[in-house]
Amino acid sequence: MAFISEWIRRLGYLVRRRKIEDELLREMEAHRAEMNDPRAFGNTLRLREEARDAWGWNWLDDLVHDTRFAWRALRHSPAFTLTAIMTLALGIGVNIGVFSLVDSLLLRPLYDRPDEVVGVYNRRTTAEGGFRGVSYPNYVDLREGTAGIFADLAASSMTFVALDLGEGPRRTMAAGVTQNYFQLFDQPLAFGRPFTADESRLGGDIRVVVISFALWEQTGASEFIVGRTLRINGDEFTVIGVASKGFTGTAIPGPDVWLPLGVQAASPTAAASPAPTLASRDAHELTVVGRLRSDASFDAAAPTLATIGRRLEQAFPDINTGYTFEMAAPFRLLFMPGPSNGALNAMLALLMMVMPGIVLLVACLNLADLLLARGHVRRQELAIRSSLGGGRGRLTRQLLTEGLLLSLAGGAVGLFFSRWASDALMASLRPILPVAVNLPDLGLDWRVLAGTVGFSLLASLVFGAWPAWSLTGRAAVIDLKGRLSEEGRRVGNVKIGNALVVGQVALSVLLLACGGLFLMSALSAATADPGFRLDGGLLVEIDPSLAGYDETRSRQSQLALVDRLRAVPGVEAVSIGSGFPFSSFGDSRSVAPAGATDARSNSVDSVFITVGRDYLRVLGVPMIAGRDFVEAELTPGSSEPVAIVDDMLAQQLWPGESALGRLIQFADAEGSEAGRSMRVVGIVATLKHSLSNPRPFPHVYVPLGQHYESVMALRLRVANGTPTSEMMATLRRVIVQHDVRVPVLRVQTWRDHLDEGLDVWVYRAGARVFSTFAAIALLLAVIGVYGVKSYVVSRRTREFGIRIATGAQPRALIWQVLSEGGRITAIGVGIGLVLALAAGQLLQGFLYGVRGFEPVVLVTAPLILIVSSLLASYVPALRATRVDPTVALRSE
Amino acid sequence: MPRDTGLPPGTLMMLVLRVLLRQPLHGYAIAQRIRQLSSDELSVEEGSLYPALQKLLVKGWVKATWCQSDSGRQVREYRLTASGRQQLEAEIGEYRRMTGAIDVLLKEA
Repeated sequence: MAFISEWIRRLGYLVRRRKIEDELLREMEAHRAEMNDPRAFGNTLRLREEARDAWGWNWLDDLVHDTRFAWRALRHSPAFTLTAIMTLALGIGVNIGVFSLVDSLLLRPLYDRPDEVVGVYNRRTTAEGGFRGVSYPNYVDLREGTAGIFADLAASSMTFVALDLGEGPRRTMAAGVTQNYFQLFDQPLAFGRPFTADESRLGGDIRVVVISFALWEQTGASEFIVGRTLRINGDEFTVIGVASKGFTGTAIPGPDVWLPLGVQAASPTAAASPAPTLASRDAHELTVVGRLRSDASFDAAAPTLATIGRRLEQAFPDINTGYTFEMAAPFRLLFMPGPSNGALNAMLALLMMVMPGIVLLVACLNLADLLLARGHVRRQELAIRSSLGGGRGRLTRQLLTEGLLLSLAGGAVGLFFSRWASDALMASLRPILPVAVNLPDLGLDWRVLAGTVGFSLLASLVFGAWPAWSLTGRAAVIDLKGRLSEEGRRVGNVKIGNALVVGQVALSVLLLACGGLFLMSALSAATADPGFRLDGGLLVEIDPSLAGYDETRSRQSQLALVDRLRAVPGVEAVSIGSGFPFSSFGDSRSVAPAGATDARSNSVDSVFITVGRDYLRVLGVPMIAGRDFVEAELTPGSSEPVAIVDDMLAQQLWPGESALGRLIQFADAEGSEAGRSMRVVGIVATLKHSLSNPRPFPHVYVPLGQHYESVMALRLRVANGTPTSEMMATLRRVIVQHDVRVPVLRVQTWRDHLDEGLDVWVYRAGARVFSTFAAIALLLAVIGVYGVKSYVVSRRTREFGIRIATGAQPRALIWQVLSEGGRITAIGVGIGLVLALAAGQLLQGFLYGVRGFEPVVLVTAPLILIVSSLLASYVPALRATRVDPTVALRSE
Repeated sequence: MPRDTGLPPGTLMMLVLRVLLRQPLHGYAIAQRIRQLSSDELSVEEGSLYPALQKLLVKGWVKATWCQSDSGRQVREYRLTASGRQQLEAEIGEYRRMTGAIDVLLKEA
C-alpha cells in the first residue's frame, strides 16, 4: 500500500514538477533570508540537485536528454542515419515477414482453446501402423460411446466441387460437415446460422451452404448474402451463413465452402466408380474432431476410445479388425493422413527462419560497422566530453541511446518491409496449391510486434554496446591532443571494422552460393527432358461429375468431347487419360503376373493411368510391340480386360522374355478390379514420372472401359505454327458450346503444366527465396565495404595529401586503396567458400541435377562479391585522389 | 549522491521526524530546533535539510502546507503524518537496539 502511494506521489511529481521545484526554491530563499550568515546554508544549486534526486527520476531525465541529443546528432548526418535505418529495416523486415508467415502457417493456434480440441484417428494396430479415415456408421458409434468425454464430436469430409459464381464453374475445396461441427469452435460464423440436424442427415440432400469469409469478399461482401444462391456441381445451393474472417476449421488451407454432410456434393468419393455412399460402414472417408468436456481429461479418455475400438472390431470384424481409435491434436496441414506432428512443425519453422536469421546477422554486423566508423569521426567530440567530466558509462549510454533510436526506427520501417515480404512469399506459395484455397490471415498480432521490438532492442544492444564501449575507452581521451597516439592507432578499430566486413562478405558468399545451387536446380528441372515432345502439346482438364453426371453419362461426355475436339481445325491429335506425367497427384497399382502364388511379394509398384485411344501416340511415346487400345475397349464390359505395360514393367515381371499376350493382375486391387486378370496387348517405352526422382518409373495403362475416373485430362497436339493462346481460347469456347455444364478445370500448354508442377515449383521457390536473401545480404555487404573504405580513406586524408603533394600518381593511390579492400574481401570470400561447401553438402538432398560441390556456383558467387566490393571500394578510392594537399595537411 | 552531512546516514531524517513530533514547523525553525536541542554539537549545513525533507515528502512521512511565519514571511510548514510517526517509532526502536548492543559490546569486551 505504502509502496503504491509512494509511486503515486512520484508520478505526481512528474506532472507538477515545475511547481514543486519552484516551491523548494522559494522555501530555500526564505530560509537563507532568515539566516545571519547565509553562506552557512550551502550551495543552493547543488542542494536543489540533491532534492531532485529524492524523487528518483534522474534516469528519465538522462534518457530524455540522451534521446534529444541523439536525435540532433542523427539529424546532422542524414546519410549515415538513412543507411543505418535501411540496413536494420531490411534485416528486421525480412525476419518479421518470414516469421509472420511461419507463425500463421505452422505455429499460431487456428482456433480458441486449442487444448480442448482433439482429432480422433482410426489407427491400424498391425506392425506397419498407419491411419485411415472413419466411416459414418463408425463415427456415429464413436459419438454415442464418448458422450461422457466430448462435449461435441463432429465429422467432416474433404472434397472438390465445381463452384459457379456466374462466370463458369471452377474447382474449389469443400468440406461436408455434421450438424454439430461449428459448435466445436468459438464464433465460427461471421453471420448466418450453422447447419441443422435435418440438413446434415445422410441422404437429406438439402442444398444449403456456409461460405468462407474470403469467398464472401469475392462475391462482393454483401450483407444480404444469406438467402442468395450459388451453383455447386450444377445445383443451386442457398447460402445460410458466412464463416468468420480467417476461419479454416482445424486445418489449413481451409475449404471455400462448407456443405451439410447430407448432400451428395459433400461425398468425397462422388467422383469414383462405383460411388460408395457415406452410409456404408466400409467407406472410411471422414475426419473426426471433438471438443473435450471441461471435466474430461485427455489421458482418461484414451481407454474409452480403445474400448469402443475393440467393441467395433467384434461387431464388424471384416471391416474393423486390426483398427483402434486414438486421440491426438488435429492435423494442421491438410492432406496429411495422420495426426499433426508438433515437433515437425517446429522444425520446419526453425528451418524457415535460418535464412532470414543470416540476413539479420549481416545487417547487425553492418550496423556495428557503421556505428564504429561514425564513432571514429566523432572521436574528438567524445574526447572533449569525456575530459569535461562525462563518465565512460554516461558516454556509452549516450551512444547506446543513439543505437537504440536507430534500431527502433529501423524496426518501424522494417514492419512495412515485412508486410511486403510476407505477401511476396505468400504469393509465391499459392501456385502450388491445386485449387483456390482459404488460408489464414497474416495478421499483425502481438507476437509479431513483440518480435519487432525484441529484434530491434537485441540488434542495438548486441551490436551497439560494444562499439560504444570501445569508442569511449582510454584511447578516446588521448585523441584530445588532436591526433592518435601510438596506442590509439594500435587499438584503432580499423581492424575490428575489417573483421566485421569479413563476416558480412563470408555470409553473403554463403547465401549467394545457396541461391546459385537452387537456381541451377530450377533451371535443370525446367529444361529436363520429360521423355516426350512438349512442342505443340496442350492439356485440357474436365470433370463431368461436377456437372452432376453419373459414370455412364460422364464417360459419354468425355468421349464425345474427344471427337468434338478432334474436329477443331489445327488440332492434329487428341487423346484422353487420367493423370499426366509430372503431376502432383497420381494413382498407382502393384502389378503381378496373373495367378502368381504370392502376388503381393512378386508385384511391381507402377504408375496407373486410365487412357483412351492414341494416348501414347499423342505424347510421342513409341510403341515397342503390340497394339494400342481399340474403340470397343473404351466402353465397359464389352471385351476381354486388357492392359498396356511399359518396357520397364515388362522386364521386371518377365525378365528376358516377351510380356506380350501374358496376363497380369493388380495385387492390391479392390472392388471390381479384384481378381480380374488383364492381357498385355502392348508394350511402350518407359517414361519418367517425377522430376525430383529422375529415374524412370514403371507404368501400366488400362483402357477407359475398365476403370472410371471423373477427372480426365484431354491431351491435344496442335499443328506446328498454331498460336497456342488463340488455340486455348478456341478450345474453351468449343467445350462450353459442347456442354455448358461441364467445368473446364484448366487449359494450358504441356510446358506450363511442367513448369507449374510441384517438382519445378519447389526448386523455383527455393531459388527465388535464396536469391532474394542473397541479394539483400549482398547489398548490405556492399554498404559495409563502402562504409569501412570511406572511413579508412577519410582517416588517412593527411597521408594521401602528403603523397599527392610529393607527386604520387592518382592511379597508384586508387590501386593502394583497392588492394587493401581486396584483401579483406579475399579473406571473407575464403571463409564464405568453406561455409558454402558445408551448406552444399547439407542441401545435396534437396537439389536437382546439381551437386553440392558445383564449380559454376563456387566460382560465380565469389566473383559477384569480389566485383561488387571492388566497385564499393572504388568510390572512396577515387576520393583519396581528390584530396587537396593543403587542406589535408591542416586536417589533423 | 548524498554528501557528508557530518551525521551517520539516515540520522538527519530521524532527527527531523523527532523534532516534528512535538509540533509542525517550517524549515528554518527545524534547523534552529536541531541546533538548539543538540547544544550546537551537531552542526549540520542548514541547506542539507531540504533534500532530507524532500525524501520525507516522497515517503509520505510528512506533509507540507504554506503559511505565514511569525516574522510575516511565506514559509512552508511540515507536519508529521501517521505513517511518519510509525516510522519514527520504528527508527528510534532500531537505533536504541543498535546503540544498546554496541554499548554492551564496549562494556563487556
